[in-house]
Amino acid sequence: MNRRHLTDDRLIDICLSGPVSPADEQHLAGCPDCEIRRTELASLLTEIDTAATIEADAAFPADRLARQQARILARIDQSGRPGRVIAFPAGYGHDALSTRTRPMSRWVAAAAAAGLIVGLAAGHLSHDFGTVGRPAVAHGAVRQQIAATTMREAAPAMTDDEFLGQIEAAIDRGGPAALRPLDALTPRAWEVR
Amino acid sequence: MRTPSQRAVSPTGARPASAPALSKDSELAGAIKALVVAGDRDAARERFADLVASQQRRAVRIAYHYLRDAHDADEAVQDAFVKVFTHITSYREDLPFEVWFTRILVNGCLDMRKARARRLRWALPLAPAAEAPASEPVAAHPSAEDRLVSNERAREIVAAVDQLPDRQRTVFTLCHLGEQSTAEVSQALGLSEATVRVHLFRAVRKLRTLLSPERSLV
Repeated sequence: MNRRHLTDDRLIDICLSGPVSPADEQHLAGCPDCEIRRTELASLLTEIDTAATIEADAAFPADRLARQQARILARIDQSGRPGRVIAFPAGYGHDALSTRTRPMSRWVAAAAAAGLIVGLAAGHLSHDFGTVGRPAVAHGAVRQQIAATTMREAAPAMTDDEFLGQIEAAIDRGGPAALRPLDALTPRAWEVR
Repeated sequence: MRTPSQRAVSPTGARPASAPALSKDSELAGAIKALVVAGDRDAARERFADLVASQQRRAVRIAYHYLRDAHDADEAVQDAFVKVFTHITSYREDLPFEVWFTRILVNGCLDMRKARARRLRWALPLAPAAEAPASEPVAAHPSAEDRLVSNERAREIVAAVDQLPDRQRTVFTLCHLGEQSTAEVSQALGLSEATVRVHLFRAVRKLRTLLSPERSLV
C-alpha cells in the first residue's frame, strides 16, 4: 500500500470526476484518514450542490419554466418575420397627386392665375399712363434741383430740414397731377419736426 | 415522440469509433441546423422546443448561480436560447451541443454581470430594508427542500460560493453544478484544461475553508 496520503487535488479530482485509479482505490481502502477526507469532501460538495440546486429550482418552478419556454419560442417567431411595412395613407399617396384632380379646383386655379395676370397688366398700364411724356422732364428737374442743392451745400445757413424739403418739392413737381391735391394735404418733413 | 435522430447515439453508431458519442441534444441540434439550412424554419422551430425543454433546467441553474437574480437569470437564459437558434448554422455537429450552449450562456451571464456592476456604480445605496434579495414566489406548501433553503447552512453555502473569485466560481459552477467535465469547461471557457483544474481545485479548497474552518488540510 502506498504510505503517502492522497493530495487534496487528487481527492477533489476523485470526488468531481469520479474515475478512481486502482492504486488510489487501494490506498483509500487501507487508509482511514484519506477515506475520511474523501467522505467529508464528497459530503461538502453534495451539500453545495443541493443548496444551489434547490435555490435555483425554487426561483424557477415548473410554471415559470413553461412561461420562459413560451417566451423563447415567441421571440424566435418574432425574429424570423420580416419587418412589418405600414401602408402610407391612401389619401396622401402617389396616385392622388399624379392622376386626377377635381374639375372645380382646376377652375379655381385657372381663375386665380387669370386674375393675377390681369391685375399686373392693369397696374403696369396705369403707371405708364400716369407718367407718359413726363419722365424726361421730371428726371431733368430732379437733376437740376440736385445740382442746385449741391451748389448750396456750401451755404452754412440752410438746415437739414430745409434741404430735404427742397428735394421733396423738386420730386413732387414731376409727379402725376392727380396726386398733387393729396400731396398738398400731407405735411412736409420739416413741418413734422 | 422522439424521432430516430433524437435518440442517443451509441458509441458504435454511425460516428467514427474514435470520436466520443454525442449526446442526444447534440444530435438534435444537428438536425435543427439541417432543417434551417434546408429552409424549413417552422420544423426547426418545432424541434428547437424539444431542445429548450431538455436544456432549460440546467441553464437556469447555471444562470441563477451566476447572477443570483431570478429576473436576470430568466433574461440570460432566454437570450442564450434565442442566440442559439439564430446562429444554429454555425454549430459544429462534431462538438457537444452542451459545450457550445454553455459558452453562449456563460458569456451572456458575464455580460449581464458587467452591465449590472456598471448600473450599481451609479446607483444610490439602498436602504437596509431593501437590501434583502427579491424573493420569488415559491410553492405554497414548503417542502423539506424549501426548509433547507431557508436553513442557515444553506445561506452559508450560498454566501461562500459568492465569495469565490469570478473565474473560480465560473469553473466550479460549470464543473460541479453544470455537470461538465474539465475538458468541456476548458472548451466552453477557452482555457486550457490545466488552468480549469487549477481554478477548480482552488475553488473547492476555498469553499472547504469557508464552510468548515475547523478542518485542516493534510
